[in-house]
Amino acid sequence: MRFWLAVFAAVRYVKTRPAVSGASVCGALNHSPGQLDLRNVLKIVRPAKRVLATALLTSSLAYAQNGAPAPRPDDDFSYMKMLADKGEHDIDNESWNAYGQFTYISSWKPAFYAPYTNLNGSINSLLPTAERSFTGTATLYLGIRLWKGAEGYLVPEVISEQPFSQLRGLGSAIQNFELQKGGATVPQIYKSRLFLKQTIGLGGKSDVEESGPLQLGAHYDSRRLVFVVGNFTILDFFDTNAFDVDPRQGFLGLGFMTYGAYDFASDARGYSYGGIGEFHWDDWAVRFGRITPPKLPNQLPVDFRLLKYYGDQTEIEHKHTIHGQEGMLRVLVYRNRENMGRFSDAIAAFDADPLKNATTCTTFNYGSNNSTAPDLCWARKPNVKMGIGGFAEQYLGHDIGVFARGMYSDGKTEVYAYTSTDRSATAGVLAKGAAWSRPKDVTGVGMNLGWISDIHAKYLGMGGIDGFVGDGAITAAAERSVDLFYSANFRKIYWLSGDYQHITNPGFNAARGPVNVFTVRVHGEF
Amino acid sequence: MASFELLRSKVCHLLAALSVFGCFVSIADAQQQPSGFAVERLYQSAPGGGWFVMDDLDISGQPGGAISATSGYERNPLVITGPDGKQKLAVVSQEAFLDIGGSVTYDRFRGYLNIPMPLLVTGTSGTLGPYQFTAPSLTLGTTPDTISDGRIGVDARLFGKPGDLIRLGAGAQLIFPSGDRSDYVTDARYGGMFRFLAAGDAGAYRYAGQLGIHLRPLNDAPVLGSPNGNEFLYGISGGRRFAGPSGWAVIAGPEIFGETAFHVFFSGETGTEALLTGRLEQTRTAHNLRIKLGVGHALQQNFGAAQWRIVYGVELFGHK
Repeated sequence: MRFWLAVFAAVRYVKTRPAVSGASVCGALNHSPGQLDLRNVLKIVRPAKRVLATALLTSSLAYAQNGAPAPRPDDDFSYMKMLADKGEHDIDNESWNAYGQFTYISSWKPAFYAPYTNLNGSINSLLPTAERSFTGTATLYLGIRLWKGAEGYLVPEVISEQPFSQLRGLGSAIQNFELQKGGATVPQIYKSRLFLKQTIGLGGKSDVEESGPLQLGAHYDSRRLVFVVGNFTILDFFDTNAFDVDPRQGFLGLGFMTYGAYDFASDARGYSYGGIGEFHWDDWAVRFGRITPPKLPNQLPVDFRLLKYYGDQTEIEHKHTIHGQEGMLRVLVYRNRENMGRFSDAIAAFDADPLKNATTCTTFNYGSNNSTAPDLCWARKPNVKMGIGGFAEQYLGHDIGVFARGMYSDGKTEVYAYTSTDRSATAGVLAKGAAWSRPKDVTGVGMNLGWISDIHAKYLGMGGIDGFVGDGAITAAAERSVDLFYSANFRKIYWLSGDYQHITNPGFNAARGPVNVFTVRVHGEF
Repeated sequence: MASFELLRSKVCHLLAALSVFGCFVSIADAQQQPSGFAVERLYQSAPGGGWFVMDDLDISGQPGGAISATSGYERNPLVITGPDGKQKLAVVSQEAFLDIGGSVTYDRFRGYLNIPMPLLVTGTSGTLGPYQFTAPSLTLGTTPDTISDGRIGVDARLFGKPGDLIRLGAGAQLIFPSGDRSDYVTDARYGGMFRFLAAGDAGAYRYAGQLGIHLRPLNDAPVLGSPNGNEFLYGISGGRRFAGPSGWAVIAGPEIFGETAFHVFFSGETGTEALLTGRLEQTRTAHNLRIKLGVGHALQQNFGAAQWRIVYGVELFGHK
């Protein structure tokens, strides 16, 4: 009952669409989406606080999430545990392990209000008609201990997918985080990860790492150096899962996977080549990584010239205890150097010569047919993008925790790998079902906010498009999504989830939407 | 009269235009574009199998397993000769790969998985007779996450024990398609293999051999240099073991292997390669290591039998 009260509160909130200023016509902005108006922030935050507070009071809860797989709880079934139970495998000090998962996610979007779509030949609108989207993934996680301190991991994955509107028209409010991996309706097998991890102990306490996907069961020194080299997603190591929940059991929205404004260098599926160094000193950790960007924005081919084009990130992490409850704080800074276009340069090129528009590109472009719009193809050159973000998680009691993350990116250049969002904020709560005698069930509600910079909004308002958004005109506003889900566990290894998302101002455009998305997910792991 | 002349002139122009169009159409029709296929013919033995292609059937009686990483580079694995018998085109002139595999063994049985990843597949485009070949241009940069046709298989030692003079066995594997045919890394069809295996030790000498069937549904029979359905597999290897200290040993010797299309046994549609192999291994502990190197040349250069190749790998294997 208390859970349904929380659900009711959330639905009440999403039905009450907060007013957003920023009326504009073709880029003539009255309001800067990049600079937060305090009144609007309060309008957003107040009902969100009510939802969060209600959920906190009504649930025994758990976890936030991220893109990397999470450790398996002790009582979860797996073949590795089965082998260990039979005495055939040392799961606490593993020489190898193998885990797997499959997930099918089906989403449906009813028709929504849109006074215009793909205006003047721009092509990145979320279509206002009813649409169905799906993803299906199956993953095999293989790990092996190679020598003392060295672990090797290989992760093949098969994916098939069909996004809404060819994955156009949304920032970080994309309704299904699996869609970032790219793919087609025909299943494709690909290698998602192949990397080597070397740990060098420096003493301190003995930390236990439980066996799981991408983790051999092992004991590490609490003071240690870790080096990783190979092919991985940066989210395996940076901004990792809060409270260790598996994303395929938790929130579906892309904005909950990591900072929406974290345009981490990666290929079109979200993976990179590169190296990472970590220094752990008891409750502190510092990590740095340099990884490969794609050759062209949001495309699969990778540029291996790591001295010329790269994505650098540094993260500082601290674990703490407040009144006996664990928590964690993280600060992440990233700096990408990529061959990307600045919005101001694209606008300047168009203003100087209107023939340099979106239909006359001679280099890589997204295929806009808007001859009255600037295009980033005229502005691509080596540029730098930077951002800084913070993350916090805190247990409030046994299995009760809250989390929030936010990031500010400079917003001067185009999206190169992740989402079009320039500034983001996310908060949410999740609950495990112990209170209603279903301890493996997971439920949660969260809010995801995304903004774009002034110059980004001006570019979109002139009819320009980036990798994902651009309706041909814009009434710039914060893109908001509320994600509410319930995952019911069956036979310990299967989860059936229902999810509802309410997206306001899709593509940062207050003239369109809101959009409702209903999703069903089937997930199994072994 | 004038209108008749005008009409006749228009008809003539129309017919001329149609005939020119028809010529273009017939030229276009004549240009067939082959779709590519899995050009790699180094069908590796299971992880822990010892040789590169043959299998030493040294499956221990205890629960165990192996992981392997094998990589290689080959030159001119697909050179196609034109209808005139003279013109040649290296549609695939370079190929490099990385293959990671794992196996589990119990008693006399082995199950395994191989995941090959192409690192480089390039060649030369061109026209041979009516065929217009488009060369692959795959590099790790252009397709950073490609997996080509993977294999799941089982082997069984049916006769003999490790160390015996004669060991006989059988194996089967399922080939599941992955990748693009245009990259010459897949047939884009499920396939399978059944092999009869033999191996043995005679003092310091080792040998192994195989006969098998490759069920290959892809049959591009009319296309030059393309597969012609199911194939017959054959191979033999032999070497001498040079023992060293602490269980280390070097085994050196040749491997000869190949395949031929069923419907034209040992005709021009046969590829055969010879590899000179050497492996350094430690096999007397529960956790063993094997480092392998092979350099080879085609004896009969067809269908992916490379003009020359180098292949190297490492295996970790053992038992409880």
